Amino acid sequence: MVSKLSRPQLASLLALFAGMVVLAVLPAYIDPYSLRIVTGVLMWAGLACAWNIVGGYAGYISFGHSAFFGIGAYVTGILMQRDLGIPFLATLPLGILVAVGVAAAIGGPTMRLRGAYFAIATWAFAEMLMQMAIVLDITGGTAGLSLPAYLNEFFFYYTMLIVALGVYLGTWYLLERTRFGYRLKALRDHEPAAEAMGIHTTRVKVQAFALSAGITSLFGSIYAYWVTFIDPRSVMGPEITDQMVVMVLLGGLGTVWGPALGATVLWLINRYIWSELGDTAIYLPILGLIIALIVLFLPNGLISLLPGGRRGHGLLGRLLRKL
Amino acid sequence: MYAGADSQTVRHSPLVLEGLVKHFGGVTAVAGVDLEVESCEVVGVIGPNGSGKSTLFNLISGMLPMDEGRVWLVGKEVTGRSAWRIARAGLARTFQIPSLFDNISVRDNLLAAAVEGDWKGAPRRAGEVLEMLEISHVADNLASELSGGQQKLLEFGRVCMRDPSVILLDEATAGVHPNIRRIMLEAIRRVREAGATFLVIEHDMEMVREICDRIIVMDAGQVVAKGSFDEIADNVEVQRAYLGRQR
Repeated sequence: MVSKLSRPQLASLLALFAGMVVLAVLPAYIDPYSLRIVTGVLMWAGLACAWNIVGGYAGYISFGHSAFFGIGAYVTGILMQRDLGIPFLATLPLGILVAVGVAAAIGGPTMRLRGAYFAIATWAFAEMLMQMAIVLDITGGTAGLSLPAYLNEFFFYYTMLIVALGVYLGTWYLLERTRFGYRLKALRDHEPAAEAMGIHTTRVKVQAFALSAGITSLFGSIYAYWVTFIDPRSVMGPEITDQMVVMVLLGGLGTVWGPALGATVLWLINRYIWSELGDTAIYLPILGLIIALIVLFLPNGLISLLPGGRRGHGLLGRLLRKL
Repeated sequence: MYAGADSQTVRHSPLVLEGLVKHFGGVTAVAGVDLEVESCEVVGVIGPNGSGKSTLFNLISGMLPMDEGRVWLVGKEVTGRSAWRIARAGLARTFQIPSLFDNISVRDNLLAAAVEGDWKGAPRRAGEVLEMLEISHVADNLASELSGGQQKLLEFGRVCMRDPSVILLDEATAGVHPNIRRIMLEAIRRVREAGATFLVIEHDMEMVREICDRIIVMDAGQVVAKGSFDEIADNVEVQRAYLGRQR
């Protein structure tokens, strides 16, 4: 439905098309190290987009998304072990199914909570899952799991590219053009009013949470196969969620393309620090600093600086007030 | 069963309230309210601040759970149902403070009101509502950018998008410009002519006189008087409750 494309939407689509062409031919022009960085950008862009569905469109700050990333990674990792030998592509839908099921089960009770209570509940859930991954045998515990190596950077680049593009286009359509998107934005802006209009807000929130979890899990699966080794900290650590949150805030909360922008900038900073200093210890303080600067000076994110960027929305302030 | 009404009457009236009670701790906000609103009727609810009017609306619309009582909406009992179920049963309401979706446009606010109804016809309907409420020129503005009066119009517009059987209006014209008040009154008349039934909380006595068929007066959670505007205006009990002194 609803109406024809507006001028900013048309401009976005044209920019997207141009970007797709550039990204499609990019591997032919850059070295393997740079290709790996761009592959990371694509993955984080997709993850930020997934978090934005819950944080930006539903207005609920989840600190538990690393759990879904880990679920995807572990489902793929476990199923690809030699004794099972399930092909990589077959593990993807299974990872998604598990994550969606867990999100639906967790979302039912937690999405009735508001503000800080929801944030704390999701954080606790992620911590619980990480502890389980540490103590269970099937996950390899702290020793982690090794996956069969597939040393083809082009495969992972194009896989990430296709999945990330699919996620962005699907999200754009779902959130900007369908009833589901309107329901989500309505409950984000005024939940009692949304209910008074007949919207079953709890159901919509759980649907959004499950959708977001499924996408996050998908990237977790691809990541596991890409890096060939996973352990609880590397795929379920809180830094994964923190990064998603900051990428969305930096790019533009509640916008379709803001998370991609934030992910690009932040991941390039991350990689620059790593290449210059040899580790990323200073990266977390930088994340904190970026959050402070966004809250103070750029509440609508980097995307608001672009031509046609949205006007003075108060989403960040609204979310912070909830906390 | 509603006092003085047989079961057939209860089932066919658009809105029937039977003995609604709500306590907040030791305070009784609504103390046994009975009311029956006939089809296409506009009933005004007046009373001093704190008399329980908005709480009554919250009980009817399912925003607050009631301690006692029953509510019938368009022939169906909706007692104890959640707000979204009651809304789908045919009730729409506005809030004392406009409850808009601030971060989306005026037009999108109207479309959002149609997500549980005729979605395909929503853009056309939104155009009609924008025109009726004379806010077409701000259709692409964010809702948060509207003036207070325009926000009241938009909130009523969202109600219109749903084509409800019963509409609760909570101070729909409080503090608005006379021109916006005129637009609102005309819109209420049109929606009523289309078949809607209204329950209206209002402090603007001129508006009450203009649109209400009858009035109930609340004080301390109870209905202390019922009748036409003139009957209410001459009621000594009402003057005492509403003005705090005898005229």
